[in-house]
Amino acid sequence: MKMIELAFLNDTFGTMLAIMPEIMLIIGALSIPGLFYFTKNKNMCATAALIAIILSGVFAGCVILDSTLSCTFMNIFKLDMFAAVMIFLFLIVAFLTVLASFASSELSNHVSEYYSLLLIATTGMLFVASANNLLVIFVGVECTSILSYALVALKKNDPRSSEAAVKYLIIGGISSGLVLYGISMLYGLTGSIDIAKIAHGLENMENLNAPFVIAVISLIAGYGFKISAVPFHMWAPDAYEGAATPVSMFLSTGSKKMGFVVLFKIFIVMFAVEQSVYAVEEMRYIFAFIATITMTIGNIVAILQKNIKRMLAYSSIAQAGYILIALAVMSEYAVTGGIFHMITHVFMKGGAFIVVGALIAAGIKENISDYKGLAKRAPIVAFAMLLFLFSLAGIPPLAGFASKFVLFSSAIVIDGVVRTQWMWLAIIAIINSAISLYYYAKVVKVMYIDSGECNEKIVIKKSHLVAILLCMVFVVAIGVYPEPIIKFCEGASGILFGKC
Amino acid sequence: MSVILSLLLAIPFVGAIITLLMSGPREKLAKFVALVTTAITLIIALYTLTLGPSKYIDLDENFTWIKTANIQMNYALHIDGLSALMMFMTSLLVFITVIFSSTETDRPNYFHALLLAIEVGLMGVYLAADYFLFYIMWEVTLIPMFFMISWYGGPRKHYSAIKFFIYTHVASLVMLIGIFAMVFTAAHNGLANFSFIAVKNGFGGSALLQTAIFGLLFFGFIVKMPIVPFHTWLPDAHVEAPTAGSVLLAGVMLKMGSYGIIRICIEVFESSVLYNWQTVMIGLGVLSMIYGAYACIAQTDLKKMVAYSSVSHMGMVLLAIGCLSEIGIEFAVFQMFAHGLITAVLFMVCGLAGHNIGTREIPLLGGLAGKLPIWSFFMMFGFMASLGLPGLVGFVAEFGILYAFWEILAKMGGIYIVLIGLGMLSMMLTAGYYLWAMQRTLFGDTTDKIDLRSIHDVNKTEFIALSIVSCLIVLFGIWPSLATNVITSFSGGLL
Repeated sequence: MKMIELAFLNDTFGTMLAIMPEIMLIIGALSIPGLFYFTKNKNMCATAALIAIILSGVFAGCVILDSTLSCTFMNIFKLDMFAAVMIFLFLIVAFLTVLASFASSELSNHVSEYYSLLLIATTGMLFVASANNLLVIFVGVECTSILSYALVALKKNDPRSSEAAVKYLIIGGISSGLVLYGISMLYGLTGSIDIAKIAHGLENMENLNAPFVIAVISLIAGYGFKISAVPFHMWAPDAYEGAATPVSMFLSTGSKKMGFVVLFKIFIVMFAVEQSVYAVEEMRYIFAFIATITMTIGNIVAILQKNIKRMLAYSSIAQAGYILIALAVMSEYAVTGGIFHMITHVFMKGGAFIVVGALIAAGIKENISDYKGLAKRAPIVAFAMLLFLFSLAGIPPLAGFASKFVLFSSAIVIDGVVRTQWMWLAIIAIINSAISLYYYAKVVKVMYIDSGECNEKIVIKKSHLVAILLCMVFVVAIGVYPEPIIKFCEGASGILFGKC
Repeated sequence: MSVILSLLLAIPFVGAIITLLMSGPREKLAKFVALVTTAITLIIALYTLTLGPSKYIDLDENFTWIKTANIQMNYALHIDGLSALMMFMTSLLVFITVIFSSTETDRPNYFHALLLAIEVGLMGVYLAADYFLFYIMWEVTLIPMFFMISWYGGPRKHYSAIKFFIYTHVASLVMLIGIFAMVFTAAHNGLANFSFIAVKNGFGGSALLQTAIFGLLFFGFIVKMPIVPFHTWLPDAHVEAPTAGSVLLAGVMLKMGSYGIIRICIEVFESSVLYNWQTVMIGLGVLSMIYGAYACIAQTDLKKMVAYSSVSHMGMVLLAIGCLSEIGIEFAVFQMFAHGLITAVLFMVCGLAGHNIGTREIPLLGGLAGKLPIWSFFMMFGFMASLGLPGLVGFVAEFGILYAFWEILAKMGGIYIVLIGLGMLSMMLTAGYYLWAMQRTLFGDTTDKIDLRSIHDVNKTEFIALSIVSCLIVLFGIWPSLATNVITSFSGGLL
């Protein structure tokens, strides 16, 4: 896709263009502590972080608009359409997180460290998006994970935060170990850590052998932790509940997407594109099975939650189950739907977390029952929350509906023909959407219908309001006119399937 | 290109936004805004209806909305005899409910905004000529109705509102799978176009696949109608909904279900597939008619009784569609229209019982004909119209439906002919429960169980609302060809 002519960027930066987004973030991350040392101004740090993110976004945006710019740096980083779309997505997450952190009451005094950690964690995600080498992917994931342990633990005075961080650390460590084991097996089998070369090497493999099975299982399990797929999901609700709300939002919308990017890279590029690779069909059924239990358990357990952050955590798990459909179906259209749903999920789930954070900053607790009468006390925020929740439930004409529409329909139509193979998966997903409506509608009911004891108006900080309105605009706009976004997603998934 | 059909969506939408914003001291003005908007919509709808079926094609609007490599959705609006009639009825009933609810004092701005938002959704369903738009509008009706019930409803409003929302949402999701399967089966060169025409032309596939897709869509529609055994949300929703909500729910929202069956199932599928489902349609239709009628007899709440009578009458619509003959479809549509007008009167009368008398419980009432003459007149009139008194609109519809049923039974011949008795049974039961309810509430000894000093009769605006609909019931009863001309332009040559 080429919308505008930006070839001069290639002349200016050469192959360095491939890592310019990361460089911008690193510069930002390194300068923020110094800036804080000299100015002692919290807002200055946040603004610097925003500027770094925007600069980085400009580079990613240029590649999205003119995909002929895509280039490779040292055979390791490849900034193509897929990478650019994912990078842009991660940067939006970081942008919203910074906006939500401006006025957050939950962060302790380590402001400069916080923004620095946040930017470097984002850099890790960016590396993952553009890497085409398993080892670099591993390093990127670790970079993000280790910094997120610190981010979760940042609420130093709250024992829940420390508990969550320790839990997250232990489970994260195990998953990294598994992943590394899987990668080493693949290296042993094919003699390479480059994704394309591994794919080529596996093509010549004749029959199913134990190292290959172990590699696949440990990769699925290891990255299953990252996307919090059932049965590897236990850490997510605790971590989200314990962490400061902007951090929960960052984990739920950002680092989970990173897990999906890795899974797409490994399982689509390495296995699915070369249909001759042994046992692809079995892998698809494994993913279909994980998708089914992930969405079902996520949705059913979410019904029981009384704490809004835990409820959103379980709903995130369920959403991960929906996105896994893309990996089960493994068609280009399905991956388009998966990427599209990842994008809309950022706005609707991110928006919901920002609302929760804004209300915490205004003195409202985290229990769903604390939201009684919210529609009268904070009409705009309550309306925004209603939109986000209905969008998560997939009610038209909101963004969540549009992306579920593409994603679920991709399980029914494969390569332009109606196939019955995955229709059951679509039906399960749709039944799950209906179940999810129950707990989303319950929150709406509490906000709009129950009357609370207190009728004072709630004052929401400006930066929170800006972030909420931003998410609201996108949730409605993508729902009403999704075409441009779908186009970008199509471009991105086309790259994964080897088209230019 | 004409913009009339878009205006029918845009005017209520703008009205809804304006009324929504009129909070605080200006909230009393909201009802005037709502009245003006719905009146303008009604005038445009009436004008469109009277253009005549041959001109409808000029009103088509078609824009590409979303186009990607695999899918294309359009903003496409289209009317024909069926949708013109339903659109007219929607605008009429919303107008009537706005007049009727002018006494609403609890946050009137939100109330009227919700009414107008429901109108947008309903209009959208009846005008859409694209499955994506159709589904969106189908869901858009849900949310305002949910709030209408849960803000302005009766004592068990929360339970009913959630039950209504979940039941109908699940049904529409099943329908959505059916739409996916249908649209993608009809895809041409890998491009799935969601417009009605493209799907109708491209749809094919094995008989088994088609039968299955029909089943998914059919399930979605009959829950909305509702047909026994998926009807349980309806009595709850009706009993708790405010009068305006009940009128719109029974008058036009239930028709979305039968409209969907005719518009999608009947128009798109091959006749062999339709005949596979014929027994189910007729069987469920007859079951609903009789079950609904028996349930009515057992009710002590006037409004719940009317709600069950809706189940019974919508069963009749399904029976008529199931006949799969031109005359069957024609009178199914006519019954949809007739039932819309009649239930409007019935629910307004029941609502007034709640407001003006203080209770809707039949055992507490008695001998009210002398105390409340106008209310009693409209109640009798509504009941008579609903049980099919000749000269009123209900009779024409029931007559036609029984005729269509007779026709297919006669074709099967032999012993099957006695099945017509089932239809007759339901009509007898209907007459029975209405007359019995009337006897207990209006006639006999004046009740001493309620405080008769506090009751009052119909006020001026309510009288206007009731008499407009009543006049139409008489008009279309005496002169049904006003409507049937429009309908036959659609149903002729459908099968």
